[in-house]
Amino acid sequence: MARVVIDPFTRIEGHLRIELELKDVTTSTGTWQFVSKAYSGGMLFRGFEIFLKGRDPRDAFFITQRICGVCPAAHAEASNQALDHAFGAIPTPAAVLIRNIIQCAYYIYDHMIHTYLLVGPELGVLCKYPPMVPPVLGKKGLEVLGLGTSYAKCVEMQRKANEIIALWGGKFPHHACGYPGGVTVRLTNDRIAGTLARAVEIWEFVAKTMINDLQKLIEANKVLTDALSSILGVELKRGLGDIGVGTGNFLSYGMLPSEDPDDYENDWMAVIERPGRRKTAVIHAGAWDGNFKDFDHRKIYEYIKYSWYDGKEGYPFDGDTIPNREKAGAYSWIKAPRYDKKVYEVGPLARMINTYGLKWKIPRVHPITGEDYGDFVYEVMNPKGSLIDRVAARVAQTLVCANALVEFTIRLKDYLGTPVVNYKDVPDKAEGIGLYEAPRGALGHWVKIENKVIKHYQCVVPSTWNLSPRDSMDQPGPVETALQCGTTWLPKNMTVKDVCDAIYKEADVDLTAFGLGKVTWGEALATALKPLGLAELNMEPLGADKYNTSIAVAIVRSFDPCIACAVHVIDKKSK
Amino acid sequence: MKLSRREFMKTVAAMGAAAFLSTYKSEIVEALEEVKDYWHICWLNGASCSGCTISFAQAVDPDLIEILTSITVGNSGLPIALPDYMETIHPASGTLAEKLKERWKKGSKGRRILVVEGALQKPKYCVIAGKDFREHVKEAAEIADYIIAFGACACFGGIPSGKPNPTGAMGLQEFLKKEGINKTVINLPCCPGHPDHLVITLASVMLGVIPSLDKYGRPLMFFGKNMHDELCPYRPYYDRGIFATKPGEEGCRFKLGCKGPIVHTDCAIRKWNSHVSYCVEVGAPCIGCAEPGFPDKFSPFYKELPSLPTVLGVDATKLGEGLIGATALGIGIHLVRRAIGKGKEEEKK
Repeated sequence: MARVVIDPFTRIEGHLRIELELKDVTTSTGTWQFVSKAYSGGMLFRGFEIFLKGRDPRDAFFITQRICGVCPAAHAEASNQALDHAFGAIPTPAAVLIRNIIQCAYYIYDHMIHTYLLVGPELGVLCKYPPMVPPVLGKKGLEVLGLGTSYAKCVEMQRKANEIIALWGGKFPHHACGYPGGVTVRLTNDRIAGTLARAVEIWEFVAKTMINDLQKLIEANKVLTDALSSILGVELKRGLGDIGVGTGNFLSYGMLPSEDPDDYENDWMAVIERPGRRKTAVIHAGAWDGNFKDFDHRKIYEYIKYSWYDGKEGYPFDGDTIPNREKAGAYSWIKAPRYDKKVYEVGPLARMINTYGLKWKIPRVHPITGEDYGDFVYEVMNPKGSLIDRVAARVAQTLVCANALVEFTIRLKDYLGTPVVNYKDVPDKAEGIGLYEAPRGALGHWVKIENKVIKHYQCVVPSTWNLSPRDSMDQPGPVETALQCGTTWLPKNMTVKDVCDAIYKEADVDLTAFGLGKVTWGEALATALKPLGLAELNMEPLGADKYNTSIAVAIVRSFDPCIACAVHVIDKKSK
Repeated sequence: MKLSRREFMKTVAAMGAAAFLSTYKSEIVEALEEVKDYWHICWLNGASCSGCTISFAQAVDPDLIEILTSITVGNSGLPIALPDYMETIHPASGTLAEKLKERWKKGSKGRRILVVEGALQKPKYCVIAGKDFREHVKEAAEIADYIIAFGACACFGGIPSGKPNPTGAMGLQEFLKKEGINKTVINLPCCPGHPDHLVITLASVMLGVIPSLDKYGRPLMFFGKNMHDELCPYRPYYDRGIFATKPGEEGCRFKLGCKGPIVHTDCAIRKWNSHVSYCVEVGAPCIGCAEPGFPDKFSPFYKELPSLPTVLGVDATKLGEGLIGATALGIGIHLVRRAIGKGKEEEKK
C-alpha cells in the first residue's frame, strides 16, 4: 500500500524516517484520512559498541557520551554507574550529589529545549498559543504579538542550565568529570554558589513560565477538543489526550539516587541484584502496567526480526548480532527491546507514573523567598499515555528537577572537605551494569572487562524502546502504536493555515503593526511562514494529493526521539 | 563602541582578523546588521550525535535568538542567515525540508555556506530522504561558496572513526578529496565544536575576512597555540612539579593523562558555556578532541603522555604523532619515565 513518507524527520536528534499507511473514515461530516499503520526506521548506523572494545574502561565515560550530543550526560551517568559497579567503587556522598546536580541541570536543559524548540512549535500552532510558536515574525513579532516569547526565553535558560554542568563538568555537551567511584572535580564554595545563583533563576522560569505555558495548553486543549470533534464528526473526549495513545505499559529505571551510603548500596544498587523500585531516589524504578510493579532488568529482551541485523536475540549481555543492510523484511537500524515480551513506553511519562501514579502533586515554593505558588497538580488524561500527557510529564519532570537541583546543592554544602572519589584501580576482570534514565527514558549500559580492557559493551537506550520497529512477535513499537491508535488525522490538501482556519474562525489577531489589520490565527501564521518559504510546512505528497502531517509529527516528537542513541549494536564477529 | 561596517573592516584589517574577532566578539552583531544581503546556510548532519548543533545553541553574543531575530536583512525582518536546511532545529520536515535545500542551492552566488556536522561513512550507513548522505554532501559541496566542517567528526572522522572504524568514518576534507572535489574546508574541530568558533567564523566569512588556516585546515586564531605551553592556567603547577596523581587532587593534570602538551586549541582561555569552565579545570585530562587522530591518538584518556616534554628537551608535538596507547612505545615510555623519576629525585636532593 502506498505510504506517506516523512524523511528527513526534523526537530528530533538524528536520522529518522516515518512511513504512514492511510485509511478513509466516513463520518457525519465527510470522509477523513487517518493513519492505519505506521513504520518507524532509524537511518544512521555508527557501531559504537564495536569501537569501545579493547579500550581502557575509563574511556567509556567519554566515548559513550558521544553516542548522543543531545543526551550525553545521561550516557555519562549510566556509564559511570556501570563502571562503579564493575570497579566495586560505590561513589562517595559528595560525588553522588555532584552527579545529581549535573543530572538535574542537564534534565532541565533537555526537557526545556524539547518542550519549546522541538515539540513546541506544532503545539503552539494547534493550540493558538503564541509564546510557544517560534519567533517567526522576528523582533517585532516577539514584541507586538508575544510570538515566541517563551521560546526565546528557553534558549537563554537552557544555556544557564548548561553553565551549571560546565561549572562541575567542564563543558556541555560532553562533560569531563566522571570517574569510577566518583568525580574528578573539586568541591568548592564558588562552584556551589555559582550553581545556586543560576538554579534560582532557572527555578523561577520553570515554576512560573513553563508551568503557566502548560496550563495554557491544557486550557486550549478544551477548545481544540470541541473543534476537532465537530470538524471530524468523531467524539474526541480528551482532545490531545485521545491523540497519540500508547500501550499503557511504562518502564522506568529510576534516577537521582539518595547520597546516603546505606540507601545507595541497599536500595539504589540493589536493583542490579534483585527486582525493586529504588524508592529512596527522587524518581523511582518500576514496570507500571496499570499498577506499580517492581522492575526486573532480567526481563529485558531485544528482538531483531525487522531490524537490519542477523544473529542471536536475547538479554543485552547475551545478544550477538551483525549488521546486514540487505536483510529481507527489515526496515530499521533500531532493534526492538521488550520487557517481559510486552511493549513498554519509556520517558518522562513513564518516570512520573512509576513514581507518582496517575495523579501528580509537585510543590512550588520559591527557594529563596519561601513564597508558595501553589502545588502543581496534574491528573493523567489518558492512562494509556497520550500526546498531551507526554508533554505535561516533561514539564512536571522539569519542575521536579528544578526543585531537586536547589535541594541537592544546599545539601552538598555539608560535604565540603569530604572526598569526591572512592578511588579504585582498573579491575583485571569484572562485569558492571548501569541502569539510569535519560530524558527520553530508561537507559542501560552493560560492560564486561577482561585484562583491564573492555571486552564487551552494550547500551539499551530509550529511543530503542520507543522508536523500535515491530518485534519478532509482530507487535508494533510504542511510537508506531501511538501513530496508528486511530486518531492521527492527516488533513488532505489542507495547509497549516487551512487547518488553523477550520479550528479558529475568528479574525482576532491584530497584525496592524505589520500593515495588515485583524486577521485569523491561520492567516497570521501564513504571513509569518510564507516569506520564510514555509507555506507548505508539514505537507507530504501521496499520489496527486498532499497530506498535512502536523498531528503525526507532534505525536512522534512527543516521545522526544533520539535516533543516534537508538541505533547501536555490539557485534562480536565483524572486524 | 558602535562600529559601522566600514570601520569594522578597517579595524579588522589593522589588527588582523584573529585578534579582532577574539577580542571584540560582541561587535559582531552590530557589524553584521549592516550586511545587506541574505546569506544562505545549509547545515548537513551525517554520522553525528547532534552535539555540535546543541553546542551552537549555547552561543552567546550573539545568541541563537539574536541570530534569528535581531540580525536581519535591512528592514525585511528576515534573519540574515536563517539556515535553509538544518535537521535538528529547522521547522520544516520531509519534502519541504528537501525543497528548501534546493532553495539553498539556488541562492546568490558567493553567499552560500555549507556547514557539515558529523563524519562521512561508507555507503548505506546514513541515508536521508532515500539518498545516501555522501551524495547529499557531494552535491552541496560542489555548489557551496564556503565550506565549514564543525566538530571533530566532520573535520577528521572523530569518535565514529575510532578503531576498528566499523563504518569507514572520515572527515569532510578527506572525503571531498577522494571524490575529486578540491575545495577548501575550514575545519573547526573539538568535540563538540565550540559555538564561538563557528559564530566568529561565519561572521568573518560574511564580512569578507577568510581566516588563515594551519596545515589541518584549522583557523590559526583558535587553534594556533599549544594549550600546555602557551595557555594553561595550571602550567605553574607543572613547572613546580606539583602533579595530581588521582582524580580530585589539585595539581597539574599531566599524570592523569592530560594531553594538553600535544594539543592546539584555545579551550584554556576561551572556555565553554558562556566561558564558565573547561575539561582541565574540573580535574579531568584534556582528551585531545581538537586534534586530528582523536580519539585513538589520545586513548586511553587516563594514560600519561610518554614524556615530560620540556624536562627532557623533547619536542612534545613530535611525540604526539605516534599512538599513545600503542605497545610499540611501551619500553621506551618505561625508560623515559624512569629517567624522569630519577631526575626528580636528584632535584630533591
